[in-house]
Amino acid sequence: MTSPLTRDVVMETMKEFGIVEQVRANRFRITTTPDRLRDAVKTVQESLACERLVTISTADTRQMFELHYHFTGQHRTIVTVTIELPRETPELPTMSDMLLPAGIYERQIHDLFGIVFSGHPGLKKILLNEDWPDNEHPLRKDWKPDEKTFYGGTKQEGR
Amino acid sequence: MAEVVIPIGPQHPALKEPVNFRVIADGEKIIRLELNLSYTHRGIEKGAESRDFIRVLPLLERVCGICSHSHATAFAKGIEEIMQVKIPPRAQYIRTIIAELERMHSHLLWLGVAAHEIGFNTLFMWTWRDREAVQDTLEEMSGNRVHYNMNEVGGVRCDLSPSQVQTALARLPLLEERIHKYVAMLEEEETMLLRFRGIGNMTRHEALAYGAVGPTARASGVACDARHEDPYLVYAEVPWEVVTDTNGDVYGRTCVRIGELRESAKIVRYCLEHLPEGDIRVPAPKAAPTGEILSRYEAPRGELVHFIRTNGTDKAERLDIRTPTLANWTSVAMCLTGQNLADIPVIVAAIDPCLSCTSRITVLDNNDNTSGMITFDELRKRSRARWQEQERS
Repeated sequence: MTSPLTRDVVMETMKEFGIVEQVRANRFRITTTPDRLRDAVKTVQESLACERLVTISTADTRQMFELHYHFTGQHRTIVTVTIELPRETPELPTMSDMLLPAGIYERQIHDLFGIVFSGHPGLKKILLNEDWPDNEHPLRKDWKPDEKTFYGGTKQEGR
Repeated sequence: MAEVVIPIGPQHPALKEPVNFRVIADGEKIIRLELNLSYTHRGIEKGAESRDFIRVLPLLERVCGICSHSHATAFAKGIEEIMQVKIPPRAQYIRTIIAELERMHSHLLWLGVAAHEIGFNTLFMWTWRDREAVQDTLEEMSGNRVHYNMNEVGGVRCDLSPSQVQTALARLPLLEERIHKYVAMLEEEETMLLRFRGIGNMTRHEALAYGAVGPTARASGVACDARHEDPYLVYAEVPWEVVTDTNGDVYGRTCVRIGELRESAKIVRYCLEHLPEGDIRVPAPKAAPTGEILSRYEAPRGELVHFIRTNGTDKAERLDIRTPTLANWTSVAMCLTGQNLADIPVIVAAIDPCLSCTSRITVLDNNDNTSGMITFDELRKRSRARWQEQERS
């Protein structure tokens, strides 16, 4: 175990990518743009010694989709790289080539939010069942189940 | 020989929970694996957005039956941090006791399942019997064997009486003795050595690259444990150690889990003996201010992450749950490549997957060396045609 990352180190390393905030004692967040995501992740891995991806969290703010890539390493500090995607064209190159575990998280996000990760080797359904309509993404804030649509499961007789 | 697609699951005697693998195999060797996890998706994240915090906790307990306390605690401690509510020490201790008892019953359950997968049913009977001692303790403390529902935002639901503490302490020596026995078995028991050793190998570098968590990662020498990395509850003041192993195979994962049983028993004993006096909860506000938190919790299967965002109301704006099993699937898919088909159950069981085939059947055509799936309807059509043929003749 190494000592936790300090504010100065994270600021100095990451300031070229965007706003750096210290959210909590051991949590940092870098807000960057989708085109600089790959470089930011590379820097987090190489210069801040973050060896593993904890998860990719997603949120729908009603104006944008937010993606948070949380990393950590032996310094026990969480470094989050945050990007925003427009709701109309939620598309982003996949990270699964440089971050192997991102592959399964991206499939999940694709199911639930409809964000397209271009270049993903198999962006197929993983969480939603095979009967679920392709163009409906349940965790979007504006999604409402439609009574006439069949979402899977067993069809009951007489209905 | 041609590559064959073998569908395994969602209902399969070797799998305890519903997951569907499409295993692409060449002879007995596994080439690739495709996953489908959709069978138990219940929309809990969406449901959590429309319930207030009091009603969300029981819902989150139902994410998983084995680690129900993990989900409720991860959420409760996250919300409490956003609300800046500090829960009393007694509540912290009670949460820790339940958490570690949960880890013990989960690891004992796993050990039984793993033993069953290698055909060692005696060990399965033993561990499940010992697990009952833990289950009885949990039932006495909370009233329930599965969904303890001990958490409330601001503390815990019910207190431990001195007699409950005494009964729980009285059960520990037997458990400690049994755990000791399992440690000894691990070193000399032929069946376990033969079937666990050298199966599902993963190096430290691979474990990090595949994002493995929990005992799966710790067995490859990655000392990641949220209880240590980001101490919550009372883990910073209780004496305990992160258990790691360097074997990197199913044997290593067994060593880590048995070692953790020992550590958990130690934590439970310490907490029961040092249980502070005082309140078990503080009044918490109904609504949480606008905020965001990444709540980390070490569930029995590995690090559980709740990403919670609040919006000033009594409901969460967003709850993103990343379960340890989801993080471990990548490593399973990688571990299985190049392995023998017969080792699928034990390698899959080694991550302790927590997730309910009739519609497809694989047909291997010997004449033109092709393979493919047919649907249930097609199968029925063919069998009807066959039957009519027989009727005619």
